[in-house]
Amino acid sequence: MIIAILTDWFKRSNKSERIWLLAKIEFKLRYYENKLGLLWALIKPLMDIAIYYVVFQTIMKQDIPAFASYLFIGLISWNFFVESTTGTVQILHTKKYLYEYSNMNKLEIYISTLLSNSIGFCFNFIMFLLFYNLIEKGTHFSTLHTLWILPLFVNLFMLALATSLILSNIFVAAKDITQVWQVFTSFLFFLSPIFYGLDRFKASLPGFEYLNPIAGIIINARKATMEGTNPDFKLFLFDFSYAIIFLMIGLFLLNKLGSKAAEKL
Amino acid sequence: MTKELAIHAKGISKTFHISEDSHNTVKHRLFNLFNPPRSKRVEAIKTMDFDVYKGECIGLLGRNGCGKSTLIRLLAGVFPVDKGQIKIHGNTLLMNLGVGMSHQLTARENIYVSSSVLGLKIKEIDKIFDQIVDFAELREFVDTKIKYFSSGMVARLGFSIAVNAGADIMFLDEIFAVGDMKFQEKAIKIFESSWIEGKTVILVSHSMDVIQKYCSRTAFMKNGSLIYFGDTATAVQMYVEDNHK
Repeated sequence: MIIAILTDWFKRSNKSERIWLLAKIEFKLRYYENKLGLLWALIKPLMDIAIYYVVFQTIMKQDIPAFASYLFIGLISWNFFVESTTGTVQILHTKKYLYEYSNMNKLEIYISTLLSNSIGFCFNFIMFLLFYNLIEKGTHFSTLHTLWILPLFVNLFMLALATSLILSNIFVAAKDITQVWQVFTSFLFFLSPIFYGLDRFKASLPGFEYLNPIAGIIINARKATMEGTNPDFKLFLFDFSYAIIFLMIGLFLLNKLGSKAAEKL
Repeated sequence: MTKELAIHAKGISKTFHISEDSHNTVKHRLFNLFNPPRSKRVEAIKTMDFDVYKGECIGLLGRNGCGKSTLIRLLAGVFPVDKGQIKIHGNTLLMNLGVGMSHQLTARENIYVSSSVLGLKIKEIDKIFDQIVDFAELREFVDTKIKYFSSGMVARLGFSIAVNAGADIMFLDEIFAVGDMKFQEKAIKIFESSWIEGKTVILVSHSMDVIQKYCSRTAFMKNGSLIYFGDTATAVQMYVEDNHK
């Protein structure tokens, strides 16, 4: 069945081309219309890193080795998740023009938007690798374990897609989910080990890395890219399971609430 | 030779629940958990069955508010049905004042996006791109965002995309009302050429001439019910009589 769907998407129909076209246009709209263009995609995480570095390393003296890189990989993963979810809460409203005149599958709209964010993530990740290997002092060079970032990113993509599906379909019935999600993400930000040391995070919130899938992905991304080790497979399995379960809920909601988007929004 | 199905509708119906109080926020829903909003039921489409075959041009007649627009939205897969089942064989295009376009995009980007949504591959769009631009008479503004266009320019672009890109099944809702008189004449000309050849078309119009000229079968609707579906002359006769009651 999966092979049949993939063959249809990539060979028989124009779906894959359409998704890529929409992703490219979305990316262009986001960055190329600003004066600084694509630089914004790189400046934003660098500025965030600078702020958190000053607060947590210089003022609070956390003393985490290679803290700038530690922050970098955590922040770009977190930013991908937040931009992909916050930016898509109203997607069925803003992209209504794509489905109100045809029977286009709405899932394509989500995938193209997340693909556009993935392009940004790729730029950021390359910047991270350059920073970690060339600028950060007292670290080993990246190893082959860095390639674990690929399945970890697939996990992150699935989780963001699932959350985006859930939120945007709730939006069809309850518009203020946008505000609710903003508050929730602020809370989740502080409950993820983005700028805390992992030991402190685990000691303060024991077992919480298994409850918060973003925390698990960030922990494993650091293991793969900075520690040069395999990810924690138990955590990896947990996070993938979360993504699959949320994705199923999201698709159910898309079928139930999203199908009425054209008449409700 | 057996006819190939384009649309198979079985036992379909659609009811809208129009509530007095919107209840469209989380707060509202939580505070009114045991006090659901009062809503008015509007039976837009009453149970009906019918088939449309590939290559047919079907007319859809009925007075304002009889459910024509809702029916074509159901058939185009834009609205879900409450009951019954619709099988659509091919991609659809619902067209009234053009096709859906984003005002944040340029005319060029909209041409690519809309044509792609209608099922064309990029190479196919490349081939018809100039035709679309020239037909819409927008050569000078091809890289301008359509938010700066006049409503007539937007309508022309939408119409041109639909005409040149097309779709397997096209739902045309009063399409001859687009643009100025010169453009309307052009629209009629293109409609009379090979545009709809080989395509399945469901044509909604209040113009008896248009329906009689192009449709092999016609449906007549009244108050959400499909009263008649068959010979065009009979359907037109029923519509005319209904208008004189």
